Amino acid sequence: MHRGVLPLPLKKHLRFFFLLFLTTCLISCQSDDPSKVDQQKQSEPFPSTYMPSPSKAFVIEHATVLTGTGIEYKDASVLVENGLIKAVGNNFFIPADIERIDGSGKWVTPGIIDVHSHMGVYSSPGIESTQDGNEMTAPVTAEVWAEHSVWTQDPAMPLALAGGVTTFQVLPGSGNLIGGRGVTLKNVNAKNVQAMKFPDAPHSLKMACGENPKRVYGSKGRAPSTRMGNVAGYRTAWIKAEEYRAKWDKYTESLGSKKELDKPARDLQLDTLAEVLRGNILVHNHCYRAEEMMVMIDIAKEFGYKISAFHHAIEAYKIADVLAKENICSAVWADWWGFKHEAFDHVRENAAMVHNAKACAIIHSDSAIGIQHLNQETAKAMSAGNKNGLSIDVKDAIAWITSNAAKAIGIGDKTGSLKENMMADIVIWSHNPLSVYAKAEKVFIDGVLTYERYDSEFQPVTDFDLGIIDPEGVRL
Amino acid sequence: MNNYKLIHKLIVKLTTSLILSLLAINVGAKDYLIKNATVHTASEAGVLNSADILISDGFIMELGKNLKAGANVEVIDAIGKHLTPGLINAVTQIGLVEISAASSTVDHTTKQEGVGASFNIAPAINFRSTLIPQNRINGLTRAIVVPGFGNSIFAGSSSAIALLSDMTGMISENVAQHAVYGVGGAGFNGGSRAAAHMALDKALEDANYLRHNRRRFEPGFESHFSLSIADLDALKPVLEKKIPLIINVHRSDSIIRMIALAKKHNIKIVLQGASEAWVVSNEIARANVPVIIDPISNLPNSFSSLSSRIDAASILHNAGVKMVFTGMQSTHNGYLVRQSAGNAVSHGLPAEEALKAMTINTAEVFGIKNYGQIKVGMEADVVIWDGDPMEVTTNAEQVFIKGQKQPMVSRATRLRDRFWDLNDNKNKAYVK
Repeated sequence: MHRGVLPLPLKKHLRFFFLLFLTTCLISCQSDDPSKVDQQKQSEPFPSTYMPSPSKAFVIEHATVLTGTGIEYKDASVLVENGLIKAVGNNFFIPADIERIDGSGKWVTPGIIDVHSHMGVYSSPGIESTQDGNEMTAPVTAEVWAEHSVWTQDPAMPLALAGGVTTFQVLPGSGNLIGGRGVTLKNVNAKNVQAMKFPDAPHSLKMACGENPKRVYGSKGRAPSTRMGNVAGYRTAWIKAEEYRAKWDKYTESLGSKKELDKPARDLQLDTLAEVLRGNILVHNHCYRAEEMMVMIDIAKEFGYKISAFHHAIEAYKIADVLAKENICSAVWADWWGFKHEAFDHVRENAAMVHNAKACAIIHSDSAIGIQHLNQETAKAMSAGNKNGLSIDVKDAIAWITSNAAKAIGIGDKTGSLKENMMADIVIWSHNPLSVYAKAEKVFIDGVLTYERYDSEFQPVTDFDLGIIDPEGVRL
Repeated sequence: MNNYKLIHKLIVKLTTSLILSLLAINVGAKDYLIKNATVHTASEAGVLNSADILISDGFIMELGKNLKAGANVEVIDAIGKHLTPGLINAVTQIGLVEISAASSTVDHTTKQEGVGASFNIAPAINFRSTLIPQNRINGLTRAIVVPGFGNSIFAGSSSAIALLSDMTGMISENVAQHAVYGVGGAGFNGGSRAAAHMALDKALEDANYLRHNRRRFEPGFESHFSLSIADLDALKPVLEKKIPLIINVHRSDSIIRMIALAKKHNIKIVLQGASEAWVVSNEIARANVPVIIDPISNLPNSFSSLSSRIDAASILHNAGVKMVFTGMQSTHNGYLVRQSAGNAVSHGLPAEEALKAMTINTAEVFGIKNYGQIKVGMEADVVIWDGDPMEVTTNAEQVFIKGQKQPMVSRATRLRDRFWDLNDNKNKAYVK
């Protein structure tokens, strides 16, 4: 087995901790302003400790390369050094002494990104004790963080890796109006969640429209029990958040002045909401219906925050022009429908119609099976649109699970496209990735070969998979 | 509403449906010659390149090259297209649910005490369901409609339907009986698989006793059997081997237990779900037991399915097990059985076998006659595809069911068309 974060030799461990100490020191030792230190701890008390293993430089040659940014290169190369992409295309200097991977007949894409996963919080096997994704004890639970529920040994994670998924956002469930913070993870096997956390990825906030919150709380005989109750719930929460934010902002301003104010009491829930209002946390809003999305857009304007993406946006096609104007992504399934009334107006062309309106389309999974086949889901969504007269190319549709997804979760400047200085999160596919026959043959995360289909040495095995069926073997 | 009005309404309804069904028959009478297709026959004939088929009076009348069109035959050029039998999904609840979370639209399960094996979902199948056209235009022409598990280890009997929007779609009631073992069966029997095993064994034993001593048990007799008299009566066709008992089971050792149980009671069984079937594929093949699987379902999503894997279909095929496929979201998107099959092919199953597992194999396991192959004499359930039928970028171009050319329209395509052009300033509320 092999994964990005391996038990390194002890020396490397020490170096790692020294580096970590230095980094911490750079943040805290540099600043003589105690409030900034406070803020740093407050905004990231569980910092990422993810460090890719050192990797050798390599080049993939003679492949069809889809950059994720709408470019397709034929017979092209991708050069990787120090875990970063150094060059992509047909015409650049390749150092003589580096490893060469023959990509003839293969296709290369950025690592696949799922913006809507519950891996680790609704782990496999699904039993009573793995239901960790939804704190359904109050309609607003902005204080909970999905990362604190993540079981890093969910056997679904390596299956997703075999489907080319290098990054995924884990969200709380949708039973609450405001369900808590989501977390973006690198798909590497690690003993703790901090070691999977995508470095410097913004936190996210899960919000939910419609049937779920009103059903969950209505059935308990409490608010919200209607959609109008939902809206009152969001607005009440944001009003409190505004007050809290103002109190803290005034306190921070007063520091160092003659009239230093008393430090306000901290409130975990309002910490999160205030950070949303400050623009530091991205809003991911589960919302199916056109009219509800329009209401949520108005609420966001009322309180001055931005919605990054509507998830499960079954009716995005009805308001694709508005979503384009507001620069809100629509994260959708290719074809799920009918499980709820708000999922009844599905069209197979949804993503294609959103794309055609020049809005940001994303295919998400919300499923530990779907996440393994996001390329197929994208293929279906693209071909449904093309069948009805559009001409969306593979090089554009691949953005729905790479660069658009990266943008929606605030890491578009780090991964999701094959460009110079981006993280070397790369998949080599056996075929055109938008085909049922396409298999991820090699998956690199930060330049580290994390999965190799034809070499079991490079197929991660979770702690759970070990000896679970055959004491001397692994699950697969 | 008074009785008169009610009767009047009923008469109007009945007349309308009668007229509509007559219309359907008239449409079916038309003949079609489909030319130059790559024909995937799902039969021993394999794949025929550039072949023609003649559809007449609802049946496939001719299959060959350079067929000539007679008078009044509509010719469809399918050059560069692929043609397969219409697909069937072996585990759906099409017609029994419109919106899963809207209980008033859901009829697949009963919690009524004492109603298990005797539960027959057929009268509840709604052929006007929006799920029928949506599945149909995507290449699904038939479905097995199965009951859900309510309060009993037996769910009841399933029906076979054609995806037509009127009651001519009803093919056959009571094509199989359904039971659950494993964790589901344990749940109905106090929480233990052993108790579930005892319950299945006892039910079959009681049903057998009753079947040979039926005259002793007049209506009104108080049952001291393990199940109600009605439920035991419903197991009679299983004991007579007229229909199979479909057993929902995943764990490999449980599968072996079910095969032994079938042998003991001399019944035909089919394993459904069967995540770990591949582990005991040789035993299954030897017992000549078919399996219903969703090949894409590779998650170890319970402790009974720890050995799930994406290439299970290929392993089962190599062992000689007869397979029948279902798929993800298999009611609203019953047609996605094709994507599941495609994944099986991508992981080693021959494409012809994958096609059989969603056509002729299913027809054979459920006893559906004259459907499932492109062969002279078969009912003309035919799909013309714009590409490789196993490929996810492929779409159905034209669907025929029992020789009737189907309109390629569903509620979803109507919504799509209404919102296709957002710059169109027409008030959408008036766009038909």
